[in-house]
Amino acid sequence: MKNKAKVVMMMSLSAVLLSACTLSNSGSGSAPGGSGDGETVRITLGLPGGYDVTNKEIIDGFIAAHPNIEVDIQEAPWGDFTNRIATQIAGNTMPDLWFQENAVILGYGQRGVAEDLAPYIERDLTTDDYIDTLFAAQTPEGQVWGVPHGANPIALAYNKTIFEEGGVALPTDEWTFENLIEAAKQLTQTDANGNTEVFGFIGSSSITQGWFPWIKQAGGMVLDETLTESRFDDPNTIAGLQQLRDGIADGYFMDGDSITAYGGELPAFGSGKSAMFFLQYSTQVTMNNDFPDTDWDVVKIPRSVDGERYVPTVSNSWLISSRASQEAKDASWEFLKYYLGDEAQAILAESGSALPVKQSALALLEDSQTKPANKLAFTDGIAEGGVTLDENASWNEWRIAVQQIVNEIVKGNVTPEAGALDIHKRVQDILDSQS
Amino acid sequence: MHKQGYWGYIFTLPFIVNLLVFVLFPIVFSAYIAFTQWDLFNAPRWVGLDNWIQTLTDPPFWISIRNVMVFSLIFVPLQTVFAFIIAYLLNQSIRGKSLFRLFYFMPVVTPWIAGGILWVWLYNYRFGLINWTLDSIGITPIHWLDNKHWWVVIASVAIANVWKGIGSSMILLLAGMQNVPKEMLEAAAIDGASRWVRLTRIIFPLVSPMVYMVMILSTIASFQAFDVFLGMFGSITAGIPEQHMVTNLIIYRDAFLFFKMGPASAMAWLLFVIILSITLFQRYFEKRWVHYD
Repeated sequence: MKNKAKVVMMMSLSAVLLSACTLSNSGSGSAPGGSGDGETVRITLGLPGGYDVTNKEIIDGFIAAHPNIEVDIQEAPWGDFTNRIATQIAGNTMPDLWFQENAVILGYGQRGVAEDLAPYIERDLTTDDYIDTLFAAQTPEGQVWGVPHGANPIALAYNKTIFEEGGVALPTDEWTFENLIEAAKQLTQTDANGNTEVFGFIGSSSITQGWFPWIKQAGGMVLDETLTESRFDDPNTIAGLQQLRDGIADGYFMDGDSITAYGGELPAFGSGKSAMFFLQYSTQVTMNNDFPDTDWDVVKIPRSVDGERYVPTVSNSWLISSRASQEAKDASWEFLKYYLGDEAQAILAESGSALPVKQSALALLEDSQTKPANKLAFTDGIAEGGVTLDENASWNEWRIAVQQIVNEIVKGNVTPEAGALDIHKRVQDILDSQS
Repeated sequence: MHKQGYWGYIFTLPFIVNLLVFVLFPIVFSAYIAFTQWDLFNAPRWVGLDNWIQTLTDPPFWISIRNVMVFSLIFVPLQTVFAFIIAYLLNQSIRGKSLFRLFYFMPVVTPWIAGGILWVWLYNYRFGLINWTLDSIGITPIHWLDNKHWWVVIASVAIANVWKGIGSSMILLLAGMQNVPKEMLEAAAIDGASRWVRLTRIIFPLVSPMVYMVMILSTIASFQAFDVFLGMFGSITAGIPEQHMVTNLIIYRDAFLFFKMGPASAMAWLLFVIILSITLFQRYFEKRWVHYD
């Protein structure tokens, strides 16, 4: 009998140890009564990338302004956080509030993980105060699965010194992609052995700075307006990919080997190895820190063949867990209201890590003293032609399928035409499987 | 049961619980979800054999199996032969033996994130040391990691993997060689046996169980290749071409990026069956060349 008791005791101890190894979802542990009656509510806030990505001043400001909301921070490097969050959701131990790539948020929404924020926005925000990116996580059916952590549009960055030395007129907002290609040809410099010393432009193979803008400028489309049909079989789409490939093959766009050799796209531009580059807004911080002496500025993304302007804009979005308690949801929405308010948006604008989505904070950028001087290229660009990357719930899946083949196209292993038709079939299969 | 028996169970209980919860349960659970549609977030839905049929009729799965087989066919013999040669050389009376052993073992403790950067640089078409060397002796540079022919790419990755894994195989073989009785080798030498004869007729037969173990472990490791491909190609989201994907990358991608746990589990079980079959195949031929006496 005594021995049996020992066995039971050991088993109980093991069970306790095991349960201690699991994370608890503090969101559901909020105090009864919620924030409305002055009692404390506890929320868990997930911060991928920690305070390198989200300004600590904003978090601290919210905590100071809301003494009845206790905030537990779960911060981790971006990769660690995003790798872990799926299993946290599966185990119901996710934070009450966190942010991730907008496309991932859309997928979470479709799977019932994210709270629909449309009623909250309608109740508490004046949407005219914000740019359209506020609704980056809106579905065609009207649900809003998240609100932006910040907007990251691209603009055409150029090295003034290379342009002046090459005797080429500086880019303007009225440039078309044809102007960009011609300037790239003129600015490419080779040594006596034929090795390229300076490229005209960086031939990125990524979606935001590579194939998406090249397809759009040629009058092509990636998906149709409903985001349910592939348009990779469109001749204009193929023409855009062909122009990107031609630039690399003919040597006036920097190729992948050279990008690797120079340490990446931004270092290649920053160190003067390329005259032009599609720069994402957030990378200006690294550019200014690592290459303070480079003389550079930006203009809006050139116009497409049809005269329109398409400014690909990446955003990360905050979401509230649909499984959090109502008190935690309300407290999380309080945080988002604070984040989208004047004070926090001004801090975001000041940091330069992303464009704020509130108009009043965007206006502050006009007084900014850091490079690039022409920050209006981003703000006006996004207002004039800001587009998402055709994000939908299956974006992660079809985007990777496209990227696999685009990588082969830019290397010259597959022709743009054959590659685009292959992409078309795969993307359509993925879209069909989701419907 | 004796009192002593109870204590045995009590002391092993943490390990038994660990085995049940973290090993046996996931195995059984993955077998279950291989028959379901499960996105991690909502309850699994039984779909019968759909995941298995989908996987078995999915060209990318078979491309990945082809890739790991070719990877294995290049990696296992190369690693085994080179590890054997190095172990043999390091078992001789030479100066700086410990230093050499350290050098050969260093890649084992180097993470692939660093090893990948090194090899990507070595393989760089325009600026890489390998192509520079080839060019300087009049050989046309080769596209190692972005070649049109998939097998060149897989072979390039396999060679990098040999660099990483040779140290651990070498240590195992060296341990085996150090157990070969010196008297036996001396007696053979006195009887006029050459170095080659001593190596092939005495050392290799006596070390053959270790060689066999190295081959089995290398084969299993090569079919489970994951980090070497990530190290060489970057992240899955950067778009590793389908022609260069291996099965574990697809399993990870489908499970944790696309949230398709059902097909990913079916794929994992099929990979397990393939690894088991190849291991049994190797075991079938074991008796012909491995000597345990």
